[in-house]
Amino acid sequence: MQATALPRSRPNARLLPSLLATAVLMSVAASVYANTPTIRLFPTTVVEDLRQTGNVARDMETGLQEVIGRLDQQRELYEQSKCDGAENDPGCQRLARQIGASYLDMLTIMEERLPDMEHTVNNTRISLERSLRNELGKKMTSWSLQETLVGKQAASATTAASPTLRGRSGMRLSERFKQYYQLVATSGSQGDQSLAVLASDIYLDMEETSLLIQRTRQEIARATLMEQLNQSFGIITPEMMEVVGGVKSILFGDEESRALVAGPPPGSVEQAYRSPLEQ
Amino acid sequence: MKPIADKPLPTRLAFAALLAPSLLSACVTSQPLCDSPQTRNLDSAVAGVKQSLSGGCHAQFDRYYDDLLTIAEGDPKPENKRVFSEFLVWSADEGLLSRRQAEDYYNRYFNVKFMSLRSDYNNCSHTCPNKRKVLLDMERELSSKERGLLKVSLDSDGYYRADRLYQEVELVLEATCNACSASRQER
Repeated sequence: MQATALPRSRPNARLLPSLLATAVLMSVAASVYANTPTIRLFPTTVVEDLRQTGNVARDMETGLQEVIGRLDQQRELYEQSKCDGAENDPGCQRLARQIGASYLDMLTIMEERLPDMEHTVNNTRISLERSLRNELGKKMTSWSLQETLVGKQAASATTAASPTLRGRSGMRLSERFKQYYQLVATSGSQGDQSLAVLASDIYLDMEETSLLIQRTRQEIARATLMEQLNQSFGIITPEMMEVVGGVKSILFGDEESRALVAGPPPGSVEQAYRSPLEQ
Repeated sequence: MKPIADKPLPTRLAFAALLAPSLLSACVTSQPLCDSPQTRNLDSAVAGVKQSLSGGCHAQFDRYYDDLLTIAEGDPKPENKRVFSEFLVWSADEGLLSRRQAEDYYNRYFNVKFMSLRSDYNNCSHTCPNKRKVLLDMERELSSKERGLLKVSLDSDGYYRADRLYQEVELVLEATCNACSASRQER
């Protein structure tokens, strides 16, 4: 069943806390840099779009949480009843139909909520896209972009206050946004360099989220039809459990996928010297 | 005494044959050897290289610079940055390099910033269409920085900052270039 393509590659849901956190951090960032000439990567429209996406995501999360909890209980009961391998038993068939019905509920909720979600994610993506194109794409050369990223203290090569780049895969979106928030909230003196990375990261996430929602919507109709057919036989397909597992990892996190990024070794050498040739 | 031109041809040929080896040997002895420095001491090596460069070996500048880096790798320390900077400033003052070339030689190896990102045009119009090449050049430059910052100067902070800068540029360029190309698709 193609719906298995849904979740694992890139965790994207449970957007509410992440998006709300992002909205807050954008406000923090905006106030921190209000008095300095700065690149405008996060205009108020982006913050508003993020807030809106967060609300939609919260509704979807709430609905799915309940149905997924029910699915877990039913699956547990199915296993405790030793139904694996006893699919012809009438009791097991009844349990399988109940699981299938819950699975259909989950698909229905996703089908209902995803269009709104798609709409708001796309709005956020488009707003960020415009900011990135204008501020980093058209107003900057590669050299000025580098200078923005390095910041004023390039020569001293200090890294203590800089954000830690997490790598773009393996971590749930909400975790990442939580990190973004912490980074911006605790490093007010950093300026544009971390905001450029932050904006890029969120934009690329939104691009992937958008594609994922699009693919998921295409698959839901097919998955629903398949399950309706299965209902008459009382079958639990492995694909069904995979989809449920995938949706759970999106909603509630997946510890295994969290990428650990090694930090640099402690540097003990002083770098006081500055060459007159240095750029 | 009659000038040589007035003498008969056999005499003139004999004279030329006598003169040729001495002229050739004069050329051979004035050709600089341009040997690589034999010492393992950086200061002495720099002094030797300066002498060679001033003595007509300036065409070998790249090789000498590489030799000096290799020698410095044998005795890595933060002060080596200064030695290389002073050597390059001397090279520019002597007219062996332009100021810009000297900056390139220094910054490519000893600065966090990437010289591969020098450009006068905006990212959408210039960097994005050449993104792969830009990133490849940066990757090569990062290897030079590993040598200069880490292996020659023991500046691990500087090197890891450069490494991170490379990753940040990669990420930001990916997003920015996607945004630029999305604009083209909209048209």
